[in-house]
Amino acid sequence: MIPRSIKQRNSSVDCKSIVTTIDPEPDVIDHHTDYFGNKVTSFSIESLHQSLAVSVESEITVHQHPLPAAVQISWEQVAEKLRRFDDPRWFEAQTYLHDSPRISRSAVFAEYANNSFLARRSLIEAVSELTDQIHHEFQYDTAATHVDSTTEQAFELRAGVCQDFAHIQIACLRSIGLPARYVSGYLRTVPKAGEQPMLGADESHAWISVYAGDDLGWVDFDPTNACVCDTNHIPICVGRDYGDVSPMRGVALGGGNTELKVSVNVESIRKG
Amino acid sequence: MKLNSTPPAPPPFANYHPKHSFYDEYLSAGGYKDGVWQPIAGYLDRLGSDRIQACAAEAERLVHQSGANFQITRDELQKSRPWQLAVVPLVLDDQTWGKLESGLQQRMRLLERVLRDLLGKQQLLKERILPAELLSANPEFMPAYHELPARGNRLTLTATDLARDNDGSWWVTGDRTRAPSGLGYALENRIITSRVLPQLIRRSNVTRVAAFFSSLQQELNSLAPRMRDNPRVAILTPGEHSYRYVEDAYLARYLGYTLVQGRDLAVRGDRLNLKTLGGLLPIEVLWRHVSDHKCDPLELDPSASQGVTGLLQSIRSGTVSVANSIGSALVQMPALMPFLPAASKFFFGNDLSLPSIATYWCGGAKERQYVLEHLDDLVLRPAFVVSGSPPINPLELSTDARDKLIAEIKARPHHFVAQQRPSRSTTPVWHNGQLRPWHMAMRSFHVQTENGVDVLPGGLIRVSPDTESLDHSPNSGRRGQDCWIVADAPVDHESTLLPPSNAPIRLMRGGKELPSRVAENLYWLGRHAERTEAVARLLRTTLTRIAGENPVEDVVDLPRMLAALAAVGQIAPDYAIKELVQALPTLEAVLPDSVFDRNQPRGLQASVINMVEKAKAARDRISGDGYRIITQIGDDLVGTAKNPDIGATIERLNQLITDLIALSGLGHESMTRTHGWRFLQLGRRIERAYQTSELLAATLTHPISDEGPLLDSVLRVTDSIMTYRSRYLSRLQATAAIDLLITDHTNPRSLVFQLQAINELIAELPNDSVYQVCGEDQRTAQHLLHYVRMAEPTDLAFTELSGKRSELSGLLNKLIDGLPRLSNEITARYLIHTGSTQLLNGSTEKASR
Repeated sequence: MIPRSIKQRNSSVDCKSIVTTIDPEPDVIDHHTDYFGNKVTSFSIESLHQSLAVSVESEITVHQHPLPAAVQISWEQVAEKLRRFDDPRWFEAQTYLHDSPRISRSAVFAEYANNSFLARRSLIEAVSELTDQIHHEFQYDTAATHVDSTTEQAFELRAGVCQDFAHIQIACLRSIGLPARYVSGYLRTVPKAGEQPMLGADESHAWISVYAGDDLGWVDFDPTNACVCDTNHIPICVGRDYGDVSPMRGVALGGGNTELKVSVNVESIRKG
Repeated sequence: MKLNSTPPAPPPFANYHPKHSFYDEYLSAGGYKDGVWQPIAGYLDRLGSDRIQACAAEAERLVHQSGANFQITRDELQKSRPWQLAVVPLVLDDQTWGKLESGLQQRMRLLERVLRDLLGKQQLLKERILPAELLSANPEFMPAYHELPARGNRLTLTATDLARDNDGSWWVTGDRTRAPSGLGYALENRIITSRVLPQLIRRSNVTRVAAFFSSLQQELNSLAPRMRDNPRVAILTPGEHSYRYVEDAYLARYLGYTLVQGRDLAVRGDRLNLKTLGGLLPIEVLWRHVSDHKCDPLELDPSASQGVTGLLQSIRSGTVSVANSIGSALVQMPALMPFLPAASKFFFGNDLSLPSIATYWCGGAKERQYVLEHLDDLVLRPAFVVSGSPPINPLELSTDARDKLIAEIKARPHHFVAQQRPSRSTTPVWHNGQLRPWHMAMRSFHVQTENGVDVLPGGLIRVSPDTESLDHSPNSGRRGQDCWIVADAPVDHESTLLPPSNAPIRLMRGGKELPSRVAENLYWLGRHAERTEAVARLLRTTLTRIAGENPVEDVVDLPRMLAALAAVGQIAPDYAIKELVQALPTLEAVLPDSVFDRNQPRGLQASVINMVEKAKAARDRISGDGYRIITQIGDDLVGTAKNPDIGATIERLNQLITDLIALSGLGHESMTRTHGWRFLQLGRRIERAYQTSELLAATLTHPISDEGPLLDSVLRVTDSIMTYRSRYLSRLQATAAIDLLITDHTNPRSLVFQLQAINELIAELPNDSVYQVCGEDQRTAQHLLHYVRMAEPTDLAFTELSGKRSELSGLLNKLIDGLPRLSNEITARYLIHTGSTQLLNGSTEKASR
């Protein structure tokens, strides 16, 4: 997966250039766009190799507009409009409304969401509260779960990493009839005053996007950090869950153990 | 006059009385008085019950022989052919068929359009002709299917399951759009039925089926991105443990395609290739019989090993066509059926002429309510997949299970469809010597070409005394039947798949395209066949000695023969130790039992089973005659009484050995000298050398005082007694026997002969550039040959004071060690092409707070 341009009502990513370097040199490289509009680069290396390095350098601009305070659509209205096909974007939202390979809707998730989703409450307010609730009630713990832990396991443990939190929040939203999608991207860490920015301190990250009706469109929330996403959140790709957007996937021929290292570096080109 | 003669059986059709509550294919079409059945029924009645029964028996024999129902496994003999063939066919007149055919053509065109739309613009969903949930809530839909390019049609071959109602109308009970099974069986039913009723089918104006297969072939060829006049088409089969395998091998042989499994394939440089002994060969068209989501572990189900990594990418790059295109299973989902009439209106502006059985998708609120209110009149199935398990019948459920079902439908409505139970017509079925009115299910097959849809005239018919068992799955039912579409006038004859004889042909000498996996199976087939023969000969000679006039104690060579049997694992090693024999059950009982013992892991039976398994795995490379012999060998030792006597056992072994010789003769006279043949021979030569070495080591390295009878036995086991007698008459001497069996290069049973042959065969195998010098296998083979060539028969036969033939023992030990090593080296060099694969998809996501 490589960066793409994404346009949303209240935010957008404009991707100006991408330079991908792969070592060793692949025998074949292809590009295509997947079902969710993400850019996929696939390659194969037929020579024997001990290590594989993939580096992607891209220049992007992230815009973030404040949410218009005037729009106070309730969460039931959004769900109801979609159900009645009154929302012009019902079809796009459909894809993110049902069970996906790693996320199954259930009464348990619906009940967890009910604390925040009171009757006729504003959708944005309710989702913000759910985001906070997950942030407070779940322990951030890299040892609690692994890549293939289920959403239910992480929910039971009340612990996990960003991927688990995103899955849990999506499960809650879909269980009450709201479309939600998984966003995989980078998080830029802003150094504290007086400190030098550290190279590679930025991270791969995951958060969610909820469909808030045609006026607001998709709005991103970060349950790991309990916030509405800002310009430090740089989305790369979207999907129904982690399975659709794992940043890199492959098959290697031959034995031995493999080890994976990832580092991310976000630098601003112009101050702003 | 014969006494006690039974009165002649009544003519079967005159005596056929179907139930009146169902449409009967024979009676409703006019029966004896009128219509298409009349001449056929008349012919069969004149033939009479006894001769029809004889035809039925012949049909059964042919089915058995074709190997389509033969699957011998380690645990049991089991039938892999789902149905026995009922000899009397289903007969339909061509007007009835014509109407059905046009309905089927329309349906296939519609399914093609629907599939194209779902994997493309998705207008049907956006315009709400179909509920969007059919994709968005469908766990079978993989996003990677979307917009995967297809050359030509997305659907090449489909099937439709049909039932015929009380008023004679046809109803669709299901569609098969992924890789419908049963075409091979339909073809075989026709071939066998016409073989047992040749006169009848010839005079009955039956529409031929061959044109359909040539149309299928042309269509598959036309999908090739390149080399369209003679592309390499491969059938991707899930493997020899799948129910599909027998049929896939049958079709591959009939259509002349290469049968491959996922591990035979590799994508290199965006091209799909077949891994062969001679390197990678590009495949143009892949007719895949594996599930959509198992086709590519990289982009689809990562745990599946039946497909090949990178297939989707090579499809996107346009270098290979896959039929049916990946994702085609979507339009066989039962949830689609209720929406097809609307889709037909949407695309073509007309109604479906062939209706589907009433189907309700529970994802719709109204439909769900109807289903819950009429639960007892319906059966429930999964909405998104064609499942192999029987549908849920609410009538058969306990109150608890029923409540659970209702709760489940309410909780996950999208995942259920409810269907009416079809009524099914009856048709005359030959069963136990008479015609019975059994219910019928038909599966039709269709090929979509550039010019339209060709329908197989007839189809696969399943019959059963009750209707429920036919509803269970596409493989259920008691028997299969051929289906004859009969015209008033003679029909065109196109009965062969061969191209016109005046068409130009490129001369080829092939063999390099042998997949490594097939080479491996042929190699082991050779080894197991040879081992079977060696053990059978050893057993036969030993049993003959026991069965002689002398009491067992006086048979001087017996202990050595037992040692030889123990050495190859046929009997417990205790029998080779004189002191222990007394305590054991008598040889007269144990030896015959060991011949039929299926649980002895290294016994004769195990060896036969291994041999048949390998033959099965390579069956698209084995001729019909070869397979018949192998089937016979599998049968030679099956079905014996509890305590077989020695005479009967020897008789069985005689038959087995004769069949094994026939097989080896066929290998010599009828197989082209390709790499396939070489691996088969290598297996045989290595095994024969090994067996002979074991035999000689067990019998001659510690000579007994009166060696004559033992030498006689050893020469019999090695099939060299005739040669010996012609040279030395009845003087039995160790030196002469050792020369004949070890160092005589003119004796095809001698060790030196095997090793020479091994060296020649290895030299002819493809030599890749890395090993310009000499492979390890070649070195080992040369060493072994050298040892044997340098040996002097008199030295070998010399007995030292210690009572041992050290020279002989030393030589044989070198062979007993070296031959298995040689076998490993050959396997490592030629037959193991894939290392393990591993998935690379660790989580890269951490998070900050």
